[in-house]
Amino acid sequence: METIQTQIVVVGGGPGGYAAAFYAADRGKQVILVEMDQRLGGVCLNRGCIPSKAYLQATKMIEEARESERRGVVFAPPQVHLEKLRAWKEAILARLAQGILALAQRRNVQVLWGRGYFEDARTLRVETNEGQKFVKFEQAIIAVGSKAAVPKVFDLGNPRIMTSTEALEMPEVPGDLLIIGGGYNGMELGTVYSLLGSQVVLVEALDTVLGGADKDLIRPVVKAAEKKFKEIRTKSKVLDMATAGKKIKAVIQTGGETREELYDRVLVAVGRVPNGENLGLENTRVQRDERGYIKVNEHQQTDEPGIYAIGDIAGGILLAHKASKEARVAVDVILGEPSAFENIIIPAVVFTDPELAWCGLTEAEAQAKDIKIEVSKFPWSASGRAMTFDRPEGMTKLVIEPETERILGVGIVGHGAGELIAEGVVAVEMGATVRDLAECVHPHPTLSETIMECAELFYGHATHAYARRRAAEAH
Amino acid sequence: MLQIEGVCFMDIKLPKLGEGADSGTVVGILVKEGDRVKKGQTLIELENEKAVAPIPSPAEGVVGRLRVKEGDRVSVGQVILELVSEGQGVPPKPAPAEPAAPAPAARVAERPVAPSPAPLPIAEEEPEAVAADENVPPAASPTIRRLARELGIDLRRIRGSEPGGRIVMADLKLYIQRLERMAAQARATAPATPAARAAAPSVDFSQWGPVVKKPMSALRKTISQRMAENWSTIPHVHQFDEIDITALEELRKAHGPAYEKQGARLTLTSFALVAVVRALKKHPIFNASLDEAEGAIVLKEYFNIGLAVDTEAGLIVPVVRHVDKKSMLELSRDVAEMALKARERKVALEELKGGTFTISNQGGIGGGAFTPVINKPEVAILGLGRSVLKPVVHEGKVQARLMMPVCIGYDHRLIDGGAAARFTVDLARAFASITEADVKL
Repeated sequence: METIQTQIVVVGGGPGGYAAAFYAADRGKQVILVEMDQRLGGVCLNRGCIPSKAYLQATKMIEEARESERRGVVFAPPQVHLEKLRAWKEAILARLAQGILALAQRRNVQVLWGRGYFEDARTLRVETNEGQKFVKFEQAIIAVGSKAAVPKVFDLGNPRIMTSTEALEMPEVPGDLLIIGGGYNGMELGTVYSLLGSQVVLVEALDTVLGGADKDLIRPVVKAAEKKFKEIRTKSKVLDMATAGKKIKAVIQTGGETREELYDRVLVAVGRVPNGENLGLENTRVQRDERGYIKVNEHQQTDEPGIYAIGDIAGGILLAHKASKEARVAVDVILGEPSAFENIIIPAVVFTDPELAWCGLTEAEAQAKDIKIEVSKFPWSASGRAMTFDRPEGMTKLVIEPETERILGVGIVGHGAGELIAEGVVAVEMGATVRDLAECVHPHPTLSETIMECAELFYGHATHAYARRRAAEAH
Repeated sequence: MLQIEGVCFMDIKLPKLGEGADSGTVVGILVKEGDRVKKGQTLIELENEKAVAPIPSPAEGVVGRLRVKEGDRVSVGQVILELVSEGQGVPPKPAPAEPAAPAPAARVAERPVAPSPAPLPIAEEEPEAVAADENVPPAASPTIRRLARELGIDLRRIRGSEPGGRIVMADLKLYIQRLERMAAQARATAPATPAARAAAPSVDFSQWGPVVKKPMSALRKTISQRMAENWSTIPHVHQFDEIDITALEELRKAHGPAYEKQGARLTLTSFALVAVVRALKKHPIFNASLDEAEGAIVLKEYFNIGLAVDTEAGLIVPVVRHVDKKSMLELSRDVAEMALKARERKVALEELKGGTFTISNQGGIGGGAFTPVINKPEVAILGLGRSVLKPVVHEGKVQARLMMPVCIGYDHRLIDGGAAARFTVDLARAFASITEADVKL
């Protein structure tokens, strides 16, 4: 039995955990990073953000090549070599994970490979290949993340029923694919598989996919997905599934009507659950809420002094960049700085085609919270750059505080929205006004101009759009 | 404002309340959604400093959505409710009472670059920003927010100078400088006490028996703050005396009915107003203020007398203006009107300001002499107790005379003991100098 002393132990090596470990090391702390997987990077790198983006990029070419024909550039029909595609994806992940490990070594962050278990509030037991190790720590940061949720009724032990993890392994391209859940996961993977040739049926319980975003921003995404997918079935539920030979029989209810359908594979994308079990939290004073997320305050502190939680396990928005920000807050607090996760804008991006991104206050949220706002929308059909991309279906939208004209939120749907939203984040975080955005010169011809023109439109004088209502009001 | 087919939708915003007042707490909402209201009808009641101000509707219409609830703190320019006015009778351009807010049309063309919110009056102890919405955090960059957190400063207290109310480094610096100035002033006036007194720690009284805990009203907080400030920064001295008001009481009884016919009540307070002004004219230092910043004495050539009114909610001190220029009848009317307004909490903020001396008459309640606290920036105050019949040597004989206990509280920085004694003697004489000619209608 080996006992190791350290100042800080970080449990979980995802984008929250490694960010915390590195930042703490950079600030002069002695840090041990515990990872139970074979590789650092967590779900984001190994089973989430990065592999899905690799597939989305690769398969996007299939559609682009097809659409290119009407622009006079004709390609032969694409051939997909799954093995090669998987290998390319795998190479990206390996390289990134190797990079993270190298960064850990350069910072003298010791990585312990194995599962961590809290023996008490100052001791973490780690089950490594070389046996048990006991880490005595001053502070611990729990960053163990979340996993795809599989409701019991779907858990048949049949590999044809997949979560995003298996879907990203891409064992095959199924003929008929049922996707349960219209969140960003279902929509992104639906895009990938439909472009690879699967007949995708997506079932969503609510009245719209991508709930949480404003409806006007969702619309172009749904329209494009409806072209690719066989069907998007909202207000519908999968009641039951059963193995039927080489297929899966699904019982799907829409309204009062119930039908049985056969699918080659099923992707369950109904959300995520925290990895809070088997951590030994009961040996500490760390508390979890009814859904299993660790309770923290704005300083990322749990109910056990000295133990912090960040990222998915701490609940809230389950996004990598939120975890990384919380990592900084937790380490700052450990260092005695008055840091807090308060009023921090976490942008959300859905990497469908077109992309959907938003940050700060949405129109729907303003309505729900009774915050008075004004909205300015700029349609991309008025953007020259959008036309040259052959993608005029986008929209840029500003959510504005009417008295001060301050930007409270930005929403973008369209090609490259995920990149464009960063300007929105800066605007909201800096407390910028509509005029600030209108008066910053944006390069022409770019999609970023839509942000400036959307701001100009608020005053009724955008160059490339005519605002009837406001112009009339002015006189 | 939006107009659709003759129907006007107006946002009713909190109008300017008066100098130095830019926010208040909603203590009453007198209308409901769907109510039809007339122009001038009170929509909500707002508690601010020492008054409850009724906020009238600027137009006729139907109340749409209410945007505030009781207990909300609202600022000038903030929307209180939405008003829908229909059809004829509505002027094409109703002018809502919202001078502070920019009209939507103004936004379109040349709008001044900096809307530059008015600087806060220095007299305000705690600078408070115009929080647009509780749900919206203050506009400031992450750098400023981090710095504020490190310094323990609540950005909601700072008014940003940039468009959109954004708080920048210069605003933060100004705010800190101001806090320092305020702390220095506090040190200068009361070197022994710390600049800002920390709140006493909470005690769990329920451990000894059942208790009822209720929040302090805005008025109570103001009173508490003012009293602590006045008591701890002014070196008070109190001078006692008794004044023979037997003759005055006879005058009051004789002329009271005539006053009542005129709809007024002749009370001792009216006599006190007249007597005080006569004494103040002889002793202008009692009608003065101390300008601490300039090291000057400001002698006021007008006589506005504050009257301490005991109300259910707490002490309110409305001011009777130009007492020297008013007849006994006018004063009697003023006193009655102020007392009524104070009790109904309808005193306008303006009516609480500009006093030069205060009278606190507890005669109607009971008790003997007491030591009133000076109402800053005034330098003296007169407390009147309940008069009682006492055996007194009067014109060489022991007689039962109606004697009123009085107490002059004065600021010893400006007023010496000798001056106070002389003032007290002259005040007694001034009471005695009121004759039938002053009272007769």
